[in-house]
Amino acid sequence: MSSSLLVALAGQPNCGKSTVFNMLTGARQHVANYPGVTVEKKTGFFSLGDLRVELVDLPGTYSLTSYSLEERVARDFLLNDNPGVVIDVADASNLKRNLYLTIQLLEMEVPTVVALNMMDVATRRGQSLDVARLEELLGVPVVPTVAKKGEGKEAIRMAVENAHADKRVAPFVVDYGPLEPRIEDISILLGKEPTLGAQYPLRWLAVKLLEKDQEAEALLRRAHSEPQAVMDAVTKARAGFLESEGRDIERQVAYARHTAAGRIAREVVAVEEGRGRSLSDRADRFICHRVLGPVILILILLALYQVSIVFGGWLAVEVWPLWGGIENLVSDLLPEAGFIEDPLVRSLGEWVVKSMTAILNYLPIFILLFAFIAALEDSGYMPRMAFILDRLFRRFGLHGQSTLPMILGGVYVGGCAIPGVMATKAIPDERARLATILIVPMMNCLAKVPLYLILIDAYFPQAGGLAMFFIATVTLFMALPVAKALSMTVLRKKEHAPFIMEMPPYHVPTMGGVMRRSIERTWLFLKKIITVVAAVAVVVFVLINFPGLSETRAAHFAAEEKAAIDAFMAEVDKTEYKGVITRDDVLGIILFDEALKQAKVGVTDQAVSDTINARFDAANPVYSAVVRRQGDDGRTLNRELRKVISTRKQLRREIRTERFEGSFLGVLGRAIEPVTQYAGFNWRINIALLSAFAAKENSAATLGSIYGIDGSGLSVEESMKQAEAGFTPLHALALMLFMALYPPCIPTSIMVRHQANSTKWMLFSIGYQSLLGLFVAVLVFSGGSMLSLSGFQAMWAFYALCVAVTVIMALIPTREEARTTVVDGKEICKNKCS
Amino acid sequence: MKKLLILCLLAAMLTLSVQAFAHSPLMSCFDNGDGTVTCEGGFSDGSSAAGVSMHVKGADGNVLIEGKMNQDSEFTFNKPEGAYTVVFDAGEGHSVVIDGSNIVE
Repeated sequence: MSSSLLVALAGQPNCGKSTVFNMLTGARQHVANYPGVTVEKKTGFFSLGDLRVELVDLPGTYSLTSYSLEERVARDFLLNDNPGVVIDVADASNLKRNLYLTIQLLEMEVPTVVALNMMDVATRRGQSLDVARLEELLGVPVVPTVAKKGEGKEAIRMAVENAHADKRVAPFVVDYGPLEPRIEDISILLGKEPTLGAQYPLRWLAVKLLEKDQEAEALLRRAHSEPQAVMDAVTKARAGFLESEGRDIERQVAYARHTAAGRIAREVVAVEEGRGRSLSDRADRFICHRVLGPVILILILLALYQVSIVFGGWLAVEVWPLWGGIENLVSDLLPEAGFIEDPLVRSLGEWVVKSMTAILNYLPIFILLFAFIAALEDSGYMPRMAFILDRLFRRFGLHGQSTLPMILGGVYVGGCAIPGVMATKAIPDERARLATILIVPMMNCLAKVPLYLILIDAYFPQAGGLAMFFIATVTLFMALPVAKALSMTVLRKKEHAPFIMEMPPYHVPTMGGVMRRSIERTWLFLKKIITVVAAVAVVVFVLINFPGLSETRAAHFAAEEKAAIDAFMAEVDKTEYKGVITRDDVLGIILFDEALKQAKVGVTDQAVSDTINARFDAANPVYSAVVRRQGDDGRTLNRELRKVISTRKQLRREIRTERFEGSFLGVLGRAIEPVTQYAGFNWRINIALLSAFAAKENSAATLGSIYGIDGSGLSVEESMKQAEAGFTPLHALALMLFMALYPPCIPTSIMVRHQANSTKWMLFSIGYQSLLGLFVAVLVFSGGSMLSLSGFQAMWAFYALCVAVTVIMALIPTREEARTTVVDGKEICKNKCS
Repeated sequence: MKKLLILCLLAAMLTLSVQAFAHSPLMSCFDNGDGTVTCEGGFSDGSSAAGVSMHVKGADGNVLIEGKMNQDSEFTFNKPEGAYTVVFDAGEGHSVVIDGSNIVE
């Protein structure tokens, strides 16, 4: 008889869980996401006799509370998917810390097999473990393994088989001390619902409810007929405990579990004399050092920035021809371009492909970034980094691990919000993670720089350096108070981890592991983002292209087109090509010219170029004669052709601008002028800013096309000054600040949606940043005008205001800050860092 | 507050490495065969290169011709005698350089 068994693989990060997974399943794996979240779900299969075992790799977590996405996913899987057996991988060389998770699994009363992994490391560190005693204390089978070398595979398989056959779950009771009577009370209340006890362990549920676990509350409301009575009792118990013991229940529970883990570890692990301090502890003396720690941190972040953004950026340029090739390939497949207007299928198709290649361009950066993050995670450095900066960031509702996203987003100038938002994945605290996601787009990504430069050149020419310093640093002083304000308001109810995670021992990351993880993540990311980008691109296309030109304007442009072609034909009729080249050939010749140029892009060898020329000559000798200036007539007509091409480009540009200004988005730009005038923005600037949302870089280009470089030799800055008489440095300052706070570009918004896993948060992020940007711009412009400050004075007055707000915000205590406690296991870090 | 100082230091150090636009600059040049060379510029995300500074330098590094990309993101110049390089200069440390010997007809 063949049947199947669902087995979950649980364990803390860095315990060698993946190695155990690979050892058991071999190559038969499948990677997907857990439904609805961005957490990876690895599934593999193996067989035990007739039994087909499906092994699911749970996310690595230190605990099973619901403070982070990973913990919640792991816990929900255990609760809802009812795995027959759970294999708990524990790092033998760090038993105490690993037991913290084991204890929580046992409290859930799931049939558990403990794989005591990395026994070799423990031996190397001079530790010997009493496996039999551990089995006795825990009441479940314990199998020593060295998964790296494949040792213990058979023993685990047997233990799983036995546990499945046996189904008996030994109770494991943690002594919660003064909390015990209250747990007892709640358990009794829960027991009044007769079916509940059969589904869930009552004691476990009682503890969870007392911990104020939201999932446990939801579960209660589903499964209990009088949930409100239980909840009332829980609330009373929480208040009572706080009053009598002076600390909240979450801390008491964590403390009791740590104590239990410590007690077991002391009994089981014997440490050889003179081998007290492990290498990790010694490394921590430097890495968590008061002075050296931050220096090392800066060096690591600099290296990361150099590798992923600078080197990755260079790599992106090198790889670009590939994406450019795809663009050309698609262009070739689409219907041919027209003289002034392209078929809709072509323009839409090109737009969508362009939107995708714009993101694919970042691919080298993503791969390097993911690899670097994977290496940092594997090495165990991440939590140290969090620890070093946590004190500072926590004051603003952020987390130590918010550093990396902010650096990547461009804390000073020079980053990109997309990898920044992506890197928030590692933050284990849900509230801080969302707060970070919401402020990263406020950093100075490089795409904002061209606009800053234009404005600074035009309006602060004497103090360019200072103005650049202002805009580069003021963003941080705006972002930090905003983060605090957000976590005190909209994010107030989000899950918040009460204490800092523990310090895992250091590992040397393996090249293979890092690369595999990087490629897996990149692939998953690509699959998701590309589909979303395609959908969003279509929407934006409609918004900026419709309803389209009016009939009179269309007729006007048609007349211009006719005039240009007439002029060309008049010249043709003076040459021997009279009658050979007709009106219908004009577009063909233009496209022939473009195709020839396209074919020669990147060609640096005259011989290769000659071959291409010959091929085009053969394809159409008449067109080629004009395009390649062959003979007197060819030269004459080529001159005329240049004029037609230039007119065509100009007409297309004018049409694009007119269509954009008349489009839904353009109309919106005019509609909001009554409001934005207080920020000093007229409708032209509104339109430039709205189009900048499609991609930040567009702002400079759009302003450029609005104010024009009309061949008069004036720069954009100069034309802008002339066109906008009365546009002062104060206007420019308001515009710069708006740009700094302005919502992220579309790819970033999609990334926000992806990481926050909610369209609502994406819309919120866009909305609050627009409003905040507008508010700041109005404050600076209207406020500055009222006090008759110059742009330069307003700049520094605003700077002082931001710094003051930052300091005040830092001083407002939050309830959670008081709760931040270091529970265990990082004596050195604790002593050195705080 | 000391941590804040550290953070500022960190920010200051990063300014040293502000070199890379996440979108890549692109340029290709063609010899028109009539003594002129035309360069077309742009960015990988489709942004216009209008207004970007252009330099043509001689073998000794002297700037021979200076100008800007026009509204069509094009820059046409008279081909200099001897060796030359074309520089598409879209900002500090962010440029494309093409050697004249690689620009063919």
